[in-house]
Amino acid sequence: MTTSLAPPPGAPPSTFRYRTAAQVRRRRIITRTLLYLAAAAVALFSVFPLYWMAVTAIKPQSEIITPEPVWWPSEFVWDRFPQVLDRGFGRYLRNSLMVAVSTTIIGLIVATMAGYALARFRIPLRKYLALVVLATQLFPVVVLLIPLFIVMRNLGLTGSLWGLVVAYLAFITPLMIWILRGFFLSVPNELEEAALIDGCTRFGAMRRVILPLAGPGIAAVSIFAWIAAWNEFLFALTFVRSESLRTLPVGLAFFVEQERVDHGAIMAGSLLFTLPVVVFFLFVHKRLTTGLVTGAVKG
Amino acid sequence: MPGGRRGRSLVPRPVRPDTPDRSPARPPARSWRRIFDDKLFPLLLIAPALLFIIGLVGYPVVRTAWLSFTDASGIRALTEGEMDFIGFANYIEIFSNPILRRSAITTVVFGLICVVGTMILGIAVALLLNQPFRGRKVLGVLVLLPWAIPQIAASFVWQWLFNGQYGVVNWSLTKLGFSGFEDFSWFTQFYTAFAVVGIVVIWQSFPFVTLALLAGLQTIPNDVIEAAKLDGTTAWQRLRLITLPMLKPLLLVLVVISTIWDFKMFDQVWVLTGGGPARRTEVLSVSTYVEGITQSQWGMGSALAMVLFFILIVITIIYIKLIREEEQIS
Repeated sequence: MTTSLAPPPGAPPSTFRYRTAAQVRRRRIITRTLLYLAAAAVALFSVFPLYWMAVTAIKPQSEIITPEPVWWPSEFVWDRFPQVLDRGFGRYLRNSLMVAVSTTIIGLIVATMAGYALARFRIPLRKYLALVVLATQLFPVVVLLIPLFIVMRNLGLTGSLWGLVVAYLAFITPLMIWILRGFFLSVPNELEEAALIDGCTRFGAMRRVILPLAGPGIAAVSIFAWIAAWNEFLFALTFVRSESLRTLPVGLAFFVEQERVDHGAIMAGSLLFTLPVVVFFLFVHKRLTTGLVTGAVKG
Repeated sequence: MPGGRRGRSLVPRPVRPDTPDRSPARPPARSWRRIFDDKLFPLLLIAPALLFIIGLVGYPVVRTAWLSFTDASGIRALTEGEMDFIGFANYIEIFSNPILRRSAITTVVFGLICVVGTMILGIAVALLLNQPFRGRKVLGVLVLLPWAIPQIAASFVWQWLFNGQYGVVNWSLTKLGFSGFEDFSWFTQFYTAFAVVGIVVIWQSFPFVTLALLAGLQTIPNDVIEAAKLDGTTAWQRLRLITLPMLKPLLLVLVVISTIWDFKMFDQVWVLTGGGPARRTEVLSVSTYVEGITQSQWGMGSALAMVLFFILIVITIIYIKLIREEEQIS
């Protein structure tokens, strides 16, 4: 490759000119400005809805419905939170917590065992098992909706929160197994072999050596399961028939139907529903992303 | 799969109890323990998960497939099994009934639009976050928020933002000079209602694409980009000819994950339009709920769910083919 500065003789006069220092600087300033403008636009787009939810929830009533938006409240009104808690959200919160925690605990026990087995043993049909686990992620959960609803009805579980826990386990456990299997694979097998030579049983090695090492992964997967169960709407809407058993998303949806215009209360309820998830989510997003992507790649 | 192959321990395997004559001195208890450890223990570990997958996923899928060929409806079908096998009648009905056909077409067309939007925005923001600038780390966290917010809560905020009389969006558009948006009602017409649903869906799914791509971008060696710069390429050429081709396998995976997410959307449509006006804004998952649960047409609802299932299977097969080809090239 020739890198002569002057154009070769005889070449057509090129329109290309080397930029002067001033031009380079100006160009740099323009690109920088554009970069920061784009960054500001993305930040606004990402954050504004959450900001608006929070601000609407704590505004005085007179500043919510205005011809011109009030961007910052003149005073903070906190009483909406105890009010919505009294108007059913306390119960919804408790129901949601119970469902999410039960789903997490049961799912975690089952998925830890299966994930460990898939990572460490030659189980017959292991390859297909891994594929099946992954395939359950690919199909829409609405496929499960009608048969599970029929089973729940016939078992009389539509009158209890256990029906929901069972339904959530159906679509949450497979992904938990898959992510946990990845974590167990990343723990070197030699550690376990050392424990076995020292006289541990398989179970002992798993409990004393592997589980503590996979601790962060297990924590992340638990939070993932908790969030998935906490957010779920379609099954909760279908399976829970009585008002007293509604979970937060369903309770919120019915609340909105009744209180069409009380935007402050609606946003306060939404905020109660959202905040725990946001806090937890920021802890686990990295593991969740890599788990989802590698799961799909290696399948 | 590294590690998996080496599943057996390095400890010399004890002689099995079915050949006792070769080592009569070995205590039998020890042997039983080895058998338990190597054979029974893994099965015990995997059994509950297998039970879950067969009982909670396998059985329901088969049952749905079967119900989709019947006219099961109402309570009596559940209590007394009163239903008839009607072949493909439900499927034919889906493609001849204007409401349901519209729902199927909307699912595919609107789903694809959402996937394209998600990918474009996701790639753009990933490229932006890959540039060095002040506040990049903060922006990286802020961008995650839409993904973190529960879909139902997000839908309600956006409904409030797009409120006809008091919404921030209409106010901003009017201020910008589009006076037609004063008191504009977004949710009463097909196209504007879906425009809002699309914004909410893309808003919620682009952070995942961005995050995954950002990790992928960091695996591209810097010297490749530097070499291209020396060759006098423009930034657009580098993106089109180097960055995107190198990320192609990852991009394919992300397209599939987004497709699966966006095609089964329910919450956003349910909250924002409720399927209305006059069931014109339904997608397949909403139709499944309306036909299958609200109207107790178990057979028809199952058929609708199966159609969505088939669409996703076809897309997944195409994707696996594409990935295989990719692997053969490299």
